[in-house]
Amino acid sequence: MANLNNIIIQIIGGAGASLIIFFSTLIISLPLGLLITFPRMSKFKPLSAFFVFIISLLRGTPLMLQLIVWYYGPYYLFGWTLGLSWRVPAIIIGFSINYAAYFAEIFRSGIQSIPIGQYEAASVLGYNKSQTFCKIIFPQMVKRVIPPVTNEIITLVKDTSLAFVITYSEMFTVAKQIAAAKTTIIPLFVAGLFYYVFNYIVAFVMDKVEKSFNYYR
Amino acid sequence: MSVFEIKNCKKSFNDIKVLDDISFKVDEGEVVSIIGSSGSGKTTLLRICTFLEFMDDGTLTYLDDSIVKSIDGKASYIGQKDLSLDALNKNKDLTRIKGYFGLVFQNFNLFPHWTVLKNVTDAPIYVQKRDKNEVIEKAFIYLKKMGLESKAYCYPCELSGGQQQRVAIARALCLEPKIIYFDEPTSALDPELTSEILKVIKELASEKRTMVIVTHEMSFARDVADRVIFMDNGVIVEEGNAYDLITNPKKDRTKKFLMKYDG
Ligand SMILES: Nc1ncnc2c1ncn2[C@@H]1O[C@H](COP(=O)(O)OP(=O)(O)O)[C@@H](O)[C@H]1O
Ligand SMILES: [Mg+2]
Repeated sequence: MANLNNIIIQIIGGAGASLIIFFSTLIISLPLGLLITFPRMSKFKPLSAFFVFIISLLRGTPLMLQLIVWYYGPYYLFGWTLGLSWRVPAIIIGFSINYAAYFAEIFRSGIQSIPIGQYEAASVLGYNKSQTFCKIIFPQMVKRVIPPVTNEIITLVKDTSLAFVITYSEMFTVAKQIAAAKTTIIPLFVAGLFYYVFNYIVAFVMDKVEKSFNYYR
Repeated sequence: MSVFEIKNCKKSFNDIKVLDDISFKVDEGEVVSIIGSSGSGKTTLLRICTFLEFMDDGTLTYLDDSIVKSIDGKASYIGQKDLSLDALNKNKDLTRIKGYFGLVFQNFNLFPHWTVLKNVTDAPIYVQKRDKNEVIEKAFIYLKKMGLESKAYCYPCELSGGQQQRVAIARALCLEPKIIYFDEPTSALDPELTSEILKVIKELASEKRTMVIVTHEMSFARDVADRVIFMDNGVIVEEGNAYDLITNPKKDRTKKFLMKYDG
């Protein structure tokens, strides 16, 4: 049993690293996603086309590959040796930019699902463009995007395990190492349980958030 | 004095003429009803009057403000080179002019995430920058007039269609516009709810509010409007005293149209 405790303690250490990736990614990618929604929806074609391309690139290639590029890219492209201190920033940048691309598409479809009549009513009442967005469109968009954003967040929990490709000791990597060293599969079960509980909490919280918007239809 | 005047307005969508040489004006305190079969250009005309759409050529004036001039056969909007709605919403002159009118839509277009009270008071406070307490006091007066005092803190989804449309009317009134446009305000409603909206508009007419009402309710137009404009295929076919035009139309096209509404 002491053995199991030991395993759990080590995995909790790895879980901390996973949580760092998770929260950093959320805090950066949600606003970043909103930020790139605007040029993505720009009426200036070259600008929107550029962002369409960037977003398709980010969504169309494996996150694992993108993490490798962010981590080793500076060395291969510019000859910079950033060392291990670059590992956490590379992971957070890679995750945040990748998830921002997904969130941007979710936000875009959310914004486009708002009836044109809302814009027309706002225009006739004299609201300017930023008032219309901030007061009328954005709040309604948030309500509409909660379900797809929840799906992405749940995927993110599981995706944190991808950080292993650049040998970052998040939870899954730790579990795998112990499993290999001690020739037992228990650590992997424990890690799986952690992911499950984590996502259970995410689903619970997002359900509360969704319900908090139920005061209107 | 006329509150609103449009002259020689032309509008095409993809080379299809939708409005051809429309001219009319509305005097203060006058109620004008626009009738005509669907597709005749009534909505497009109201959208041009409220800057939701641009005209191709013509002139448009609110009170002393000339907003659109005709230059070399093309409509020229004040302070506006780029004819897009985005650019329009940045145009300070037009924003000021927007205070002159209100528009009541067929499908209400209330803001669903706001209470009734916020729907009615937000634009006067944050667009017109009026005093908050004064606006709220006004809002309650108008809500009371609409029989919705008790619904001030409800959300639109909690109201019937007729109630929602009355909120939309209160929202327009609270901006203290010089003229209110209605685009088929009862078309989305059951007959029962229709009469409650018509009653409210009738009351506004009796207070000498300046209004332009697009409607398919002929007896309402006959009884409430001062003047009726009959449109067909993008042109004004006949225009005149409401009672005379509807009970005794001169033009064949008008007769044919009104026949459909008889008995
Ligand atoms: N945005 C648009 N693009 C193309 N055609 C339009 C547009 N808006 C209206 N039309 C056309 O203009 C004509 C007049 O429409 P509308 O003004 O809605 O008429 P009404 O309100 O009298 O029914 C119709 O033939 C309609 O199809
Ligand atoms: Mg219409």
